[in-house]
Amino acid sequence: MATSTTAVPVADIAGGRSESQWQIVVRRFRKHKIAVFCLWLLGAMLILSALAPVLAPFPRDEPNLKTRFVPPFTTDEQGNFRVLGTDHLGRDFFTRLLYASRVSLGTALIATIISSVIGVVLGMLAGYFGGWVDTLISRILEVVATFPIFLLLLILSSILVQNINSVPLPEFFVRFLAWIFTVSEREARGIFAVILILALFGWTSTARLMRGMVLSVRENVYIESARALGASNTRILSKHIFPNSLPPMIVDFTLGVNGTLVAESGLSFLGYGIQDPTPTWGNMLAFAQSYMFQHPWMPLIPSLPILIASIAINYIGDGLRDALDPRQRI
Amino acid sequence: MATFLIRRLFQMLIVTIVAAIISYGLLYLVPGGPLDALLTERQNSGANRIDDEDIKRVQARFELDLALPVRFSRWLIGWPNGPLFGSLGADWAVGCATPQQVKLTYPDGRVEFITEGCADTVTLAELEGRKVSRGVFFGDFGVSQVILRDRPVTDLIMTRLPYTLYLMGASVALAILIGVPIGVYSAVKQYSRFDYIMTTVAFIGSSLPSFVFAIFAILIFSILAKQAGLPYLPSGDAVGTRDIVIPLIGLVEVGSFLDRFLRFLMPCTVLTFISLAGWSRFVRGSMLEVLQQDYVRTARAKGVREQMVVIKHALRNSLIPFVTLLAGVLVTIFAGATITETVFNWPGIGRLFVDALNRNDYNVVMALVFVNVVLLLVGILITDILYTLVDPRIRLS
Repeated sequence: MATSTTAVPVADIAGGRSESQWQIVVRRFRKHKIAVFCLWLLGAMLILSALAPVLAPFPRDEPNLKTRFVPPFTTDEQGNFRVLGTDHLGRDFFTRLLYASRVSLGTALIATIISSVIGVVLGMLAGYFGGWVDTLISRILEVVATFPIFLLLLILSSILVQNINSVPLPEFFVRFLAWIFTVSEREARGIFAVILILALFGWTSTARLMRGMVLSVRENVYIESARALGASNTRILSKHIFPNSLPPMIVDFTLGVNGTLVAESGLSFLGYGIQDPTPTWGNMLAFAQSYMFQHPWMPLIPSLPILIASIAINYIGDGLRDALDPRQRI
Repeated sequence: MATFLIRRLFQMLIVTIVAAIISYGLLYLVPGGPLDALLTERQNSGANRIDDEDIKRVQARFELDLALPVRFSRWLIGWPNGPLFGSLGADWAVGCATPQQVKLTYPDGRVEFITEGCADTVTLAELEGRKVSRGVFFGDFGVSQVILRDRPVTDLIMTRLPYTLYLMGASVALAILIGVPIGVYSAVKQYSRFDYIMTTVAFIGSSLPSFVFAIFAILIFSILAKQAGLPYLPSGDAVGTRDIVIPLIGLVEVGSFLDRFLRFLMPCTVLTFISLAGWSRFVRGSMLEVLQQDYVRTARAKGVREQMVVIKHALRNSLIPFVTLLAGVLVTIFAGATITETVFNWPGIGRLFVDALNRNDYNVVMALVFVNVVLLLVGILITDILYTLVDPRIRLS
């Protein structure tokens, strides 16, 4: 198999079926039945939330005091059928849930993408170049590890959320978020703040993992031969080191999305995350909690999606871990 | 060992100060603050019961009229408390009691007041005779600014600490007592049905956000059970406010042991379940690794009974990495579980932190952050030292 550097594809020599790396991964992933099911489930959630403006039967946050606390699957006084009922202000739960999925899943995805990119780049630099770059980055990682992260997270978000309009944020990104989440720019600023905070606290574990990966990958003979052939640092990093340390990063990213999702709902649940007119699973649950004694069905509506999404993402991560690890027999 | 300790203590000092500067700066650099509640009260009081003099006095009491670095240093080490070295810099301005109001008249007739400069500065000499805390480094956290105005923060923390200690202590102890045997059994019977069920439960438990789990618990054991006429659990607080009658259990008097116990049951179970997953998974992984070691095979080959192999040879060695978790446990037990305590209205440290943050009681927030950082650092130090004790191959350097 060491002949894979020649121009002739291995499969042609063997005369067998040619299969790329990713096809192998997909084939192995499909053996994990629960993970495949969870992927479909999450995909369905994403599609539903992407189609929110089309599917939503009512305006997102139009209060209607005549139709408060309508239970699910019933028709309210005004003759509107409410699939999931209405909340404490008479807003349609199904509509808000669609938008909330969009905000919650989108926030988690964007924040994790940002923190993963920062973590991967810094981890790669630290692991590959060593020296003072490594010392600096490792020291930062060490210091951050001794901070009470959750408390700082709460402090930072309570401050940012209170003063969001006086914080300078890049306008194009605010507009981009407003477009993605179909919210006003004012709401987009709030979402942006939460994304920033989550990304700020999320990159360290990725950086640590990436640094470790790069440290082991760069000792391989193929890196040495690439250097002997005169490849530049940029080329070695992008063509050899990055692809070879990617598999654990993919798993880390998946689990990171779950962590961020839970952190965002936790923040919003405590009132420090995304604020009310913008629906998220967390802040919907916070309101539902205050009325759960009179209307026990209310907390179920925002909490079931959190539960499903969270478990689904974890199983997908589990499936990916098995599929990407060549030592694992499945 | 001595050089290691000195270097580590020095590092810990620096990290503590950095963490304190960051959180102090974050809190005080933004608009709003401990005076917000008072100012709102003044706006609503109409008849001017709170006047500017009062505001100024409260401001001086909480040091809010001092420049941030001076305020921070007084908070941290209780210095400067007067002119430096007895006489130096008595008239140096270190703060501003009343900001200067400048009236701007625009050409088009609009009038606007802006604050610029300072009308009444505070000098170092004026700091003499002011009440000052001895400084956080010497164990004085100052006074609470909003929640229990003008009472020591330490008092406030001490009223909440017992609740957090017994809730967190019990749940951590339970999680270890249940989690370790589960982990050991799963590892010994790897890929059995028990192992499969336990890993799945642990998997779901670790991915479940605590507040969702807590709300489900309230929903099932308080609300639905009560509606169905079954014995139910009270949904919040550590002590009730009035006697209740629970079916089959009978009258529950306020403040009785039964009352406290019933209210303690649900938060404790939720916290235990959530950390149980982590513990059992940790022990399982560590056990699986140890069971493959040569010395375990040797022990089996010598004819040691399987039970002895598992307990004496494998379990003892698999518990070595356990020590690494100690650092986290120390902080967890002190800091409580912010979200779970909030959901169950449990009057512990975690909820105190959220309350203090909500009401801008910055001295309380800072005290909790400070204690947390110190505990975490001490935990890490203890872990490192313990590690060399349990595993002689590791040396401190």
